[in-house]
Amino acid sequence: MATLAPYIPPHVKPEQVFSFDIYADPRVGDDVQGTYSAALADAPDIFWSPLNGGHWMVKRHDLIAEIVKKPEVFSAREMQIPRVENPPFMIPLSLDPPDNVPYRHVLMPKFSPRAVADMEPKMRAMAADIIDEVLAKGECDFVADISARFPVSVFMEVMGLPLDKLREFRAIADTYFNARTNEEIQRISQQIFGIFNELIAYRRETPGDDLITHFLTVDVEGRKLSQDEILAMSFVLFLGGMDTVTNVTAFTFQHLAGDPALQARLAADPSRLSDFAEEGLRMFGVIGTPRLVVQDHDAHGVSFRKGEMVLSALWQSGRDSEKMDNPDGFDIDRKEKPHLNFSTGPHMCLGHALARAEMRILADEWLKRVPSFRAKPGVKHGFRIGTVIALESLPLEWPIAEGVA
Amino acid sequence: MVHIRFIQADGTAQEIEAEPGESLMVNAKAKGVDGIVAECGGSMVCGTCHVYVAEPWFGRLPAPSDMEVDILDYGLHRSPQSRLSCQIGVTEAMDGMVVEVPVSQR
Repeated sequence: MATLAPYIPPHVKPEQVFSFDIYADPRVGDDVQGTYSAALADAPDIFWSPLNGGHWMVKRHDLIAEIVKKPEVFSAREMQIPRVENPPFMIPLSLDPPDNVPYRHVLMPKFSPRAVADMEPKMRAMAADIIDEVLAKGECDFVADISARFPVSVFMEVMGLPLDKLREFRAIADTYFNARTNEEIQRISQQIFGIFNELIAYRRETPGDDLITHFLTVDVEGRKLSQDEILAMSFVLFLGGMDTVTNVTAFTFQHLAGDPALQARLAADPSRLSDFAEEGLRMFGVIGTPRLVVQDHDAHGVSFRKGEMVLSALWQSGRDSEKMDNPDGFDIDRKEKPHLNFSTGPHMCLGHALARAEMRILADEWLKRVPSFRAKPGVKHGFRIGTVIALESLPLEWPIAEGVA
Repeated sequence: MVHIRFIQADGTAQEIEAEPGESLMVNAKAKGVDGIVAECGGSMVCGTCHVYVAEPWFGRLPAPSDMEVDILDYGLHRSPQSRLSCQIGVTEAMDGMVVEVPVSQR
């Protein structure tokens, strides 16, 4: 990819400029969210980074909430930084309200708290199967073997995707999140659409109780969804189901691996697993949500101008010292765990209940089998940053029970 | 001032002075009422500001939209008195209203 020259528009004040490379800033290290937050400590609450084509970035919890709740100014119709020529169109994500509402309506029954509660026994069984595959070995790469497989497996079950294609889908999703050029994004999007076209054709012939069948049969304001609409909805759900829970869970377990006291406490008292999952979400946000300025807007001393991109760094929302004490400390007992990692407002993540349940269930099933574990010493885990933050590996080891193996 | 009494699932009560013209959710959040999460901030997409409105006030509220009913139907702990507090605009007539908070929002 050609490096773009640093860009500062004339209306940006010098004190609002803070140079930060969202894709490769060298100040971000192995404690990804912690070092990220430290790197931005001296940046203004809303700042202009001249890198990656030039864009605004928002680092405070309450300002992020303000931006994502003002779709008439900050539109979700484009979410690439730098901007690309033919940005992917995602339903309902790329649609500003009220256009997104009927589509959310269609999706709700399959992602509601009640639907998630109904799915819990099935999710537990899936988590158990995945963990049992590595249990006797006394070691695994938690990312590749567990956290990448479980949420994706659950999601594929919801969608009616064949599980034997898991690794292939996962690889495509990885390429997508690493893609930066228009050409790459288009090419990978086409691959993903190809997979979904096959699946839609299959479900037309063989209906099930999956989401694709629901898309094909549901009534939306008196009509059926078109093939393009189904593709666009599947696309955003596909990507959303792949990388998000995987990454938050991986970072949260990376923390847990280094905290034997917390392992023992949670193994003894699984009723605290919801608090554990929520604290993991607060500490280890992985999603940034870009918006396109669609009308000039002045707020907080900043002149947002039409055509500019704004990145709300959701992972910063849980590390905001104005919202909580000791934001960099992992504490399941803190009463409030403020964060916006599911965003807020009209585009708030539809999968929030599912994601939380997945984290809680996976931790529960894991600790039942592996009550004590640690990260293999001396191994680099690797990470990537961008509009999604990921942990690349997490090699764990644990004592094998006698008589097993 | 409009006095509204919130009762938690464990029976503890808290009375707030609510601002007419704002939603019940915004008022509850501003006064730190426990158990009102309102994760979407009033956009009617998350269902985490669910409350049970006691009679006679429940019957006096404007009817919920189809969308609100759907969110309540898909949510947890649904009761006939269920409403989303983000969809209830506080008025002077609500003085003395009693609102129960469900055992959980998720």
